[in-house]
Order: sequence, then C-alpha cells, then structure tokens
Amino acid sequence: MNDRNDGRDERDEYEEREEHGERDGELYDGLLEEELRQAATILDPVPAELRRIAVDAFALRDLDVRVAELTFDSLVDAIPVRGETDPPRMLTFESDGVTVDVEVTADGLIGQLLPPGPAGIEVLSGPRAHARLTADDMGRFTGAAPPAGPFALRLRTGREVVVTEWLRA
Amino acid sequence: MNGLLAVGTCHSTAYDGMSYTRGGTVDRADVGALVQSAADGDAAAWKSLVDGLGPLVWSVARSHGLSDADAHEVYQTAWFRFAQHLGRIREPEKSGSWLASTARHECLKLLKASRRWTPTDDPQLLDRPSEDRTPEESVLDSEEAAAQTERVRLLWQEFEELGERCRQLLRVLISSPPPSYQEVSAALGMAVGSIGPMRQRCLRRLRARLEARGTR
Repeated sequence: MNDRNDGRDERDEYEEREEHGERDGELYDGLLEEELRQAATILDPVPAELRRIAVDAFALRDLDVRVAELTFDSLVDAIPVRGETDPPRMLTFESDGVTVDVEVTADGLIGQLLPPGPAGIEVLSGPRAHARLTADDMGRFTGAAPPAGPFALRLRTGREVVVTEWLRA
Repeated sequence: MNGLLAVGTCHSTAYDGMSYTRGGTVDRADVGALVQSAADGDAAAWKSLVDGLGPLVWSVARSHGLSDADAHEVYQTAWFRFAQHLGRIREPEKSGSWLASTARHECLKLLKASRRWTPTDDPQLLDRPSEDRTPEESVLDSEEAAAQTERVRLLWQEFEELGERCRQLLRVLISSPPPSYQEVSAALGMAVGSIGPMRQRCLRRLRARLEARGTR
C-alpha cells in the first residue's frame, strides 16, 4: 500500500515538473509574443493615412442601394489562355435581376448592363466619384481605365440604384 | 462569445484551451454592438471599429508579402467593402473574421495578378522615413531608450528572418489588440486547431534564434 502510494507520489512529482516546464514554456511564449506585438506597433503600424481613409469610408455605407456581388473574376475563375501575356480582366457583378459585365484593360473599361437599358454610371474611387459615364439604350458603356486603387460602379437605372462590390482592377 | 462556447467542444491541450480564451475574444466582445451602431449612423462606433480591427487587416496585408502599394490597396478594399456591406453582415460579432477573410482573398488575388512577390524582410521597414511618428517612436528617439530601440530592432530582425510560414502566422497573431484564433483562421485560411501548435513552434524557433545571438 505504502509502496504503491510512494510510486504514485514519484510519478505525480515527475508529472508536476513536466507541467511546470510546459507552463513556463507557455509563459515565455506569451511574453515573447507580447514583445513582438509591441515591436510591430512601433515598426510596422497601420500607416496614418490609411487609418484616415478607413475612417472616411464610413461615408460609403449606403443602406438604400443594392450591392451587386462579384460572381465572376477572370483572374480567379478563368483558365489562362496560353501565349496571352496581359489578358483583359473580365468581371461580372450580380444583384437580384441586374447583371453588370465589365472588361478592364490598360486602355479603358467596357461594360454591359443586363437587362439592357440606359443608366447613369459613376466610377467611384473612395467616397468621391472619379468619373461619370452613361449606358446607352442597349445597356453598353465605355470609359477610361479605372483609377489606381479600389473602385466601384454606382449605376442608376430608371428603377433603382445598384453599386458593385469594391475591387482593385 | 462564440469563442468561449467552443471551449467545451475542443480537444483541451494547453494551447487549444488558450486559443479560445485569448484576450482577443474578450476585447472583441462588443464588435457586434459597434457594427450595429455604425450601421445606424454612429460615426464614433465606426472609428472604434477602424481602430480595433484595422491593425488586424493591416497585418493580413503585411503577412502576405505584398509590395507596400498592394498592401495599401488591400487594406482600403477591405474597409470599403465592409462599409458597403454594413448592416447586411449576417454575423456582426464576427466582423473581424469577415474583414480578415476579405483581406486574405484580396491578397491572394493581387499576388496572382501582379506576381510582384517581395519578401517581407524589407530593409526599408526598419529604416522607414518618419512621416507619421507614433508616440512610441518618439519615445524610442530619446537617448535613454537607445538600448530598448536596439532590442526591438534585433527582435524584429530575427522575426523577419524566420521562415515564411512562421513569419506569416506570427505577423497576424501580433496585431494589436490580439486577434481571436477564429480571426487568425480567417486571415490565413488555416484550421483553428493548428494555430496553437504552430504558434508554439514558431515562437520557440524565434527564441532559439535570439538565444543563439546571445541577446537573451
């Protein structure tokens, strides 16, 4: 009985030491992580101008419009064509019943609104409109290449306003 | 929050247990309420979200080895989309994961588009021009803090020389405030259960490097 108890005590002590080692390891890990966190805050913080842009992006919340989600992006969804070094970027955005196809090249932007119909289109670059385009009666529109950085299209058809998801072209 | 509920169902090794109870989940407890207030037009709530989750979004961009310009665009795209979807987000309390995952997908796209892969151990990072001095940087400028500066530089240098996988995981883990493991998982497309063991391995590798250098 005593022997068995002793045996267990030894094992317990051993396990306890092991546990201490593990706990110390955890403690050091936590301290090192915290030190790294401070280093990141000092050496690689969010640039102040980016923080400002994100704060200003509050103006982009637009609760009354419909968001057309990106459902096709040639960058991700298309099989690359051999020999084509700089293929155009093909994008499709969809919201209930409205589809916007956009092709972006270095030269410009070509789009098609479905169902076909006229629309006023703003090319948004952050909270401000960068350019205004018009879709003709067939729903076709063209414009200059979108600005650097993320862009979105805000389309006003006769019936509603649709905004495409933000995207870097 | 969901993190705390998950404790009972996970394998309870030391780090798994920790993964669900890190400060992150506690700090993030009111994210859902802030998102709701922001959707209702409260600009101050939005600002709190930018300050609370912005460093996580930035860390995702930084951890993917993008150029500075691309990292900036990823950060902006994630926030523009978040603003656009505000009020439509299905689980507002998980907005950190939503932002992290959005940023990750944009990172992968930009990498694919540009193939402008540059390793993050960019020497400029250490000697970045000081356009935006943070209070911390100003403190580091003072002479008494020179030794501390040196220590931080050495630590960062060793961190940047870690393997890519460790550098990527740690860069996201050390965003401030600390992210939850769900957010890290969304940021890196990694199973929640593998974060703890990887974290431990990476931190110990870093510690070994520091010890080898005789700085510890």
